[in-house]
Amino acid sequence: MKKYIQVALGILTAIGGFVDIGDLVTNAQVGARFGTSLVWSTLVGLVGICLFAEMSGRVAAVSGRATFDLVRERLGPRFGMLNLVGSMLVTLLTYIAEIGGVALSLELVSSVQHVLIVPFVALVVWLVLWRAKFNLIENAFGILGLALIVFAVAVWQLAPDWGSLAHQAATAAKPHDELWSTYWYYAVALFGAAMTPYEVFFFSSGGVEEKWSTEDIGVMRANVFIGFPLGGLLSIAIVAAAWLTLGPLGVSVGSLDQVGLPVAVAMGKIGLAIVIVGFFAATFGAACETGLSVGYSISQYLGTQWGKFVRPDKATFFHLVVGLSTVIAAGVLLTGVDPIKVTEVSVVFSAVALPLTYFPILVVANDPDYMGEHVNGPVANALGTVMLVLVLVASIAAIPLMIWTGMGR
Amino acid sequence: MSQTTNRLADPFDAVLHLLDRQLIDVDGLLAGKVDDLELTEGPDGWRITAVLTGTTALLHRLGGRIGNRLVELHAQLRVTEPDRDVPWRIPITQVSYVDSAVHLDRARKGVLHHNHVGRRLGRLTGMRVLESGRCVGRVIDVHVVPASGRLVLESLVVGRGGPGSYLGYDRNEEKGPWLVRAIVRAWHRGTRTVPLSRAAIDWDAREVNL
Repeated sequence: MKKYIQVALGILTAIGGFVDIGDLVTNAQVGARFGTSLVWSTLVGLVGICLFAEMSGRVAAVSGRATFDLVRERLGPRFGMLNLVGSMLVTLLTYIAEIGGVALSLELVSSVQHVLIVPFVALVVWLVLWRAKFNLIENAFGILGLALIVFAVAVWQLAPDWGSLAHQAATAAKPHDELWSTYWYYAVALFGAAMTPYEVFFFSSGGVEEKWSTEDIGVMRANVFIGFPLGGLLSIAIVAAAWLTLGPLGVSVGSLDQVGLPVAVAMGKIGLAIVIVGFFAATFGAACETGLSVGYSISQYLGTQWGKFVRPDKATFFHLVVGLSTVIAAGVLLTGVDPIKVTEVSVVFSAVALPLTYFPILVVANDPDYMGEHVNGPVANALGTVMLVLVLVASIAAIPLMIWTGMGR
Repeated sequence: MSQTTNRLADPFDAVLHLLDRQLIDVDGLLAGKVDDLELTEGPDGWRITAVLTGTTALLHRLGGRIGNRLVELHAQLRVTEPDRDVPWRIPITQVSYVDSAVHLDRARKGVLHHNHVGRRLGRLTGMRVLESGRCVGRVIDVHVVPASGRLVLESLVVGRGGPGSYLGYDRNEEKGPWLVRAIVRAWHRGTRTVPLSRAAIDWDAREVNL
């Protein structure tokens, strides 16, 4: 019985934890402008993150090695260093965006300008990362993030023409007033939002934190293959809700209250209250995950002690890195930069940085030296290879598309 | 992780199976990376005598000229401290076993010493290999054979070098996925093993003559 509760808890956490500021903003923007015509990109990203997370989780369970251990071992110190710098810049950017997202959520409640809230948020995030237990960080915000299910309820309340939504999704029918270049730009952005690299750093390091062994592979797979797709459904619900309410008005989403507007339209004050709780939980949880991921990755490259499974005084360097990145993130936000803009940039650069960590994990998941009998099977490899090509294409196309479209304008 | 799998009990490739691995102490705490390996020449040939770890060892690995310059800068940061340009060392005898990580037989506190002499593996890998004056490739790995408790270098793996040298596809024909294997193996075709008895290492000129 305890085992089933554990599996259920893991799945709920995966659903609630799937959506972060990048998914919220990108899905709402895409929904308002392109309707469901880009759902395919979210689905591809979803398959990608499931493959990527399952492989890294399996490697962590079998060999006890997390992502940046493998990057260093299989790419060497020089290329590994470039890889680390690239991945960490993207993760730090995401960290900034998540902390900004928490501040924006609190601005919706308090009407206090978000810049004034930032130092307070940064302090609380740092305290949680320093003092709180790993399980609490992982589960509490994931479960609370389930509040975002209101988006699905909102879509149902809006009583849409399901047939036309499905038709638009199935035929990938771009609205006539949009350009193909922006269509492809947002396809890459959605892919990056679904497959943000930190998710895998956190997932594999979390596996080591929780001392997974080969016996835990089943539970891990349940979390990934049930939890993530259900989390992906939330993303699609955000798209549909935005299309139904904001699409006809021609609103282009540029703030967090506009992301929540469809729920307010469909369900009134109660809906709005729940969605703000969801925003807060999703961004706060993701802020913790990204903050830890910066510490995890740098420590893993250098081999110093990392993790919440030891007392902070046994992992001083790790906590120093986490603390410093929190200071940097708060400092950037205090310049008054718009967190939504940071988010938009972070999802695109997520797509750029993906191959850096996807490739070494694919290689190690095939290495009998690490994996013994648990190497990738033919299905994982066929899908993994197709995904490698897609990840490379998205990575190469991302920056040219960003410049060409002026970030999707 | 059980202690039944010890990499060092059977022949292995030093770069592929030992270099850049995690060091873990007897209490399960992390103690750095295998940033480099110390090689010493004895009556039975070259052998691995220590794990080198820490900033200096890592900076050396970042590459010839840049690496040397970074080591200099690292020493300049604190000139009052002696031997900042000498890597920290853990004798290989203090390694109890190796699986996906390198396990030490003692606690990590104060385990490092500054008494490194001899050569670094990181200086051997990347050396040009010359056969009757013609360059036939670079040293990308060394094959190590355990003999009565010693880790003796038996042969050099010579290949093209560059990207993909650490992936191991050149030494495992089975490892998937197919597309990656095909590309990496095509790039690294011609990788071969040369017995160390046939090779003369010139450490100063960074060349190996066959």
